[in-house]
Amino acid sequence: MEKCQFCGKPATVHMTQVINNKTTVIRMCNECAAKHGLFDKEGLPFAMLSGLGEALFSGMKQNLSANGLICSKCGCTPMSFKETGRLGCPHCYKDLKLLIDGIIESSQKGTIHKGKYSREGTMAATINATDGFTDTSAKRPTRKLSTEEKLNELQEMLDAAVRAEQYEEAARLRDEIKILKGSEGIS
Amino acid sequence: MNDFAKKLFQDSKLAKETTPVVVSSRIRLARNLADFKFVKYACKGDLHAVAEKCEKVLASCPIFTNSTTINMGDLLDYEKLSLVERHLCSQEFIMETNESKLFFTDDHSISIMINEEDHLRMQVFRPDLNFKIMFDKINAIDDHVSENLNIAFDNRYGFLTACPTNVGTGMRASVMLHLPALVITKQIGNLILAVQKLGFVVRGLFGEGSEAQGNFFQISNQQTLGFAEVDILSRLTQIIRSIIEYELNAREIVKKERIIWLYDNIGRALGILRGCYCLTSIDAINCISLMMLAVDLGYLPNTLRGDLHQMMMKIQNSHIQVLENRVLNAGERDIKRAEFLREFFAAVPNLKFD
Repeated sequence: MEKCQFCGKPATVHMTQVINNKTTVIRMCNECAAKHGLFDKEGLPFAMLSGLGEALFSGMKQNLSANGLICSKCGCTPMSFKETGRLGCPHCYKDLKLLIDGIIESSQKGTIHKGKYSREGTMAATINATDGFTDTSAKRPTRKLSTEEKLNELQEMLDAAVRAEQYEEAARLRDEIKILKGSEGIS
Repeated sequence: MNDFAKKLFQDSKLAKETTPVVVSSRIRLARNLADFKFVKYACKGDLHAVAEKCEKVLASCPIFTNSTTINMGDLLDYEKLSLVERHLCSQEFIMETNESKLFFTDDHSISIMINEEDHLRMQVFRPDLNFKIMFDKINAIDDHVSENLNIAFDNRYGFLTACPTNVGTGMRASVMLHLPALVITKQIGNLILAVQKLGFVVRGLFGEGSEAQGNFFQISNQQTLGFAEVDILSRLTQIIRSIIEYELNAREIVKKERIIWLYDNIGRALGILRGCYCLTSIDAINCISLMMLAVDLGYLPNTLRGDLHQMMMKIQNSHIQVLENRVLNAGERDIKRAEFLREFFAAVPNLKFD
């Protein structure tokens, strides 16, 4: 009889997961399965749940240079991700990019968002028009932008205006950036 | 019945429209506020602020005029678990309930978890397979949310989530299937492997327990990044349609080759349900699964399908305690469960075999 990978009791739960043709098998007893949230109807069948992140981690392509990373906003590190299976904040996607790209590469279909609000969305929606789904990816309703996004957008517009020698417009954008930064307390 | 029990048992419409093979389907979107840490790392004050912001925006959404908001911290343990049994929230959601809130519509067709693993987990349910209607519904709510809150979004990664396995669309679509004939004909193992190879997940506990759960299987997408929402939904729809066809074919084979075995099993199950005085939930679900099959094959009236589905909810551990309004131990639950079942199946007509 197979043994539980966590406590050595007879295993009653056998999980097989195939991602991108790579098979991972985890065996465990009922108690350990419950402990790791395996009976969670909503969550993932396994993986990324506390402790189990480790088991999945070993099957993943790891970028060793990711080890020294730390998120400047929340302090999340590859180690804390390994322990909790969760990232700390949206900014982790920037500061822990190396780690995240490795995980995404081994667990996701692609590396670029093609769904709602995406730049590539229009194309995907055309292909799917035959299925009768609403063209949601092509539709770009007014998504509320975060301050950071807004600033980036304005900065891009400012650079473009300077390049095009439209100094009046550039001055207007510069003032807008200043006001926005002021209101959010960004220096 | 207390107020909580009334809210829990008011979804008769959703259950009544259940179809053969497809028991229910669900789409879930995960969203986070850009300016806050993800739930696991956020402090109590942040979680409180997130809950307040989300609640305010949701309350202004016209779709939630007939809905309930629950502070999860106010509930008893079995009340929380009964919401999990109804699929209105996840197991993880009820572990830490400090600042978490649950929104659901009176017909139980939409539920929103605030401060689960992600700040917002929005779900829509249907008793059949119709992702188009479901997606339009959840997408409209998402439009409202993203117009009114700073949602964490990146042009390359899409919607940012606490776990990179949800990033991108943040969408998980799943379908609960009743596949007794594929289990009886032992084709289920191969089917599970085939579905997994296509990048979808079959949930259920394999190994020893795999056949002992009323033949219910949940299939959902594993990957969330690199596809448009509509791609994931149309692929899943195609897969489910072929599984339905396999199941229906397998039922024909069982009827042709093992009819006495089938009559015997269905007949005995009804006997148990009418005569039991102490029944575990696994035994009960297995028997009800066979009654569902009997309805699908025309041995019991079609009108029973919705009632059976509701019965399956009602006899789950925490539902029994909600109905009784007190904590019951396993033995007491088994006795109460048997009582509900005896009473219900006494009124069910006799089987009409071909």
